[in-house]
Amino acid sequence: MIGFLEIRRRKLQFALVGLIVTLISYLVLMINGLGVGLNEQAGRALRNFDADAIAYSDRAGLSVIRSELSAETVERIEAESGARESAPLGYMAVNYTRNDGKVKSAAVLGYDPGTIGEPPVTEGRPLTPADADGLLADRQFLRASGLKVGDTVRLAIRLQEREFTIVGELNEGAFFFQPSVYMLRSTWQEMKYGTNAPGTPVASVVLLKGDGLAGKRGAGWEAVSKSTAFANIEGVSGQQSTVQALQVFGYLIGGLVIGVFFYVLTLQKTPQIGVLKAVGATTGFIFRQLLVQALLVALGGVAIAVPLAWLTNEGIKQVPDPVPIAFTTGTFVTTSALLLLMAVLGVLFSGRQVAKVDPIIALGQQQ
Amino acid sequence: MSIRLKVENLEKIYGEGERAVHAVRGVSFATEPGEFVAIVGPSGSGKTTMLAMIGGLLTPTRGTIEVNGRDIARLRGKELAEYRRQKVGFVFQANNLLPYLTARENLLVMARINGSDLKAARARADQLLEELGLAARRDALATELSGGERQRVAIARALMNDPELVLVDEPTASLDSARGKQVVESLIAEVKGRDKLGLMVTHDMAMAEMADRVLEMHDGQLVAHTVAARG
Ligand SMILES: Nc1ncnc2c1ncn2[C@@H]1O[C@H](COP(=O)(O)OP(=O)(O)O)[C@@H](O)[C@H]1O
Ligand SMILES: [Mg+2]
Repeated sequence: MIGFLEIRRRKLQFALVGLIVTLISYLVLMINGLGVGLNEQAGRALRNFDADAIAYSDRAGLSVIRSELSAETVERIEAESGARESAPLGYMAVNYTRNDGKVKSAAVLGYDPGTIGEPPVTEGRPLTPADADGLLADRQFLRASGLKVGDTVRLAIRLQEREFTIVGELNEGAFFFQPSVYMLRSTWQEMKYGTNAPGTPVASVVLLKGDGLAGKRGAGWEAVSKSTAFANIEGVSGQQSTVQALQVFGYLIGGLVIGVFFYVLTLQKTPQIGVLKAVGATTGFIFRQLLVQALLVALGGVAIAVPLAWLTNEGIKQVPDPVPIAFTTGTFVTTSALLLLMAVLGVLFSGRQVAKVDPIIALGQQQ
Repeated sequence: MSIRLKVENLEKIYGEGERAVHAVRGVSFATEPGEFVAIVGPSGSGKTTMLAMIGGLLTPTRGTIEVNGRDIARLRGKELAEYRRQKVGFVFQANNLLPYLTARENLLVMARINGSDLKAARARADQLLEELGLAARRDALATELSGGERQRVAIARALMNDPELVLVDEPTASLDSARGKQVVESLIAEVKGRDKLGLMVTHDMAMAEMADRVLEMHDGQLVAHTVAARG
């Protein structure tokens, strides 16, 4: 095609704009990866819960940190919600000391073995009701701490410190921006409240399984869907809107750069467009050449940016405290598709310009 | 092919009011199939303007241009583009080629625009380049060609889609007279052999004399119909 030949003959111009498109695509991909990564940090573990809805104390404002449930409320939730299955779950943040001496925090989730609150173990073994000092640790926790299944770790909350043996590995992800570890709910209660005496809160939330549970409420509790629960994690909505704003800017700038380049190119080529029209080319034909060029340039840019972003992420993963970037095939596909779409939109500007060129100018020009 | 052109009361006024230029003022003539007509006249007499209207590049202010009975002065948009690429081969005074394409690619553009079969188009392009003595320059970029070579490529391009109407605006400007004569002869052969119509603007009387008929323009009007010696 003429458009393709022009790219071949004007390599430098097209390579330059291709380079800019590559850099923008790379930036947009990294932002999108960061968006996914931050979301995973915020609560992949929550999204992995084997539940349809999550019940909170109705005074907690859907905050896992502030939600505390008494034994009576947990029973009421289980009775009143109409859930097929349910499981109380306790949450607290603890500190631990890493091999390198740094003090870090981890999210502790206390559950009861045999309920839907139990996470699947990927290595080692699950906890039994007798494992009061046993711990299941997420991969991310193990990588960050340098520990492995069979090691011991001291977890601290307030003035208490307790040693646990890691018996199994999980792939549940982070909870509340911290790597997650799971222990028995009774151990959680002892650590968090210092006692198992009657009247002590027994859980932070209750996982529920069944139909039509989201939105249900009763005396002292309310239940919401997992996605509502996720969106209500402190910081998530602000973080999501920041990432979305960055994404939108990235796409707009990508579209604009392509658009402006092709607009300038079109203006520059006005005499040649006049000649093409004079020999009988329609506006549509000429515009299609531009479209093919824009798509090729965008495709080239994306084709370089995608592996580059992937490699960057592989590199980042190697450091002990990686920037939370995560790529899914979906991220690559949607980002690429949107960038291509923006290239097409950018070129639409030039369509009007092409239509405006009068073939008569072919008569007047000297080469 | 047997094309008939009938131009009646053709007028073109550029601009409006004070600055209006009456470039063509009431031109009428008709042609027979297979005719090769030369148009002569002083600079600014309206030759290019008239050719552009016949070629569908310029809308007449008044008058009709019938090509095989159809008034092309009324065509617009896509229909006009189609008329230009299927019926007309136009050789511009400034022989505009696409600079980033080779001689051969400039010809193949015509097939692309027309959606014609590429294999046949390649054969036709090579044949035209051969006939016009450009075989050796086939793969040279338009910017690498000399003025005369560009002119010949422009002529070949005009013939690519096998148009019935071959319109040529001062083709010999950058051709030396021996080469120019040869080029005009091949144009005449193309027109005669296929019952096409050739209209060629020229200021070179030697070239004009090669035509069947000479139309002379003066101040936007035809002043005389001369039948050349050649007949
Ligand atoms: N686009 C235009 N706008 C205004 N006047 C024009 C334009 N093109 C040509 N003219 C005028 O029309 C007249 C005829 O021009 P043209 O057809 O180019 O003559 P020729 O080809 O015989 O030299 C001239 O006076 C020229 O200045
Ligand atoms: Mg002229």
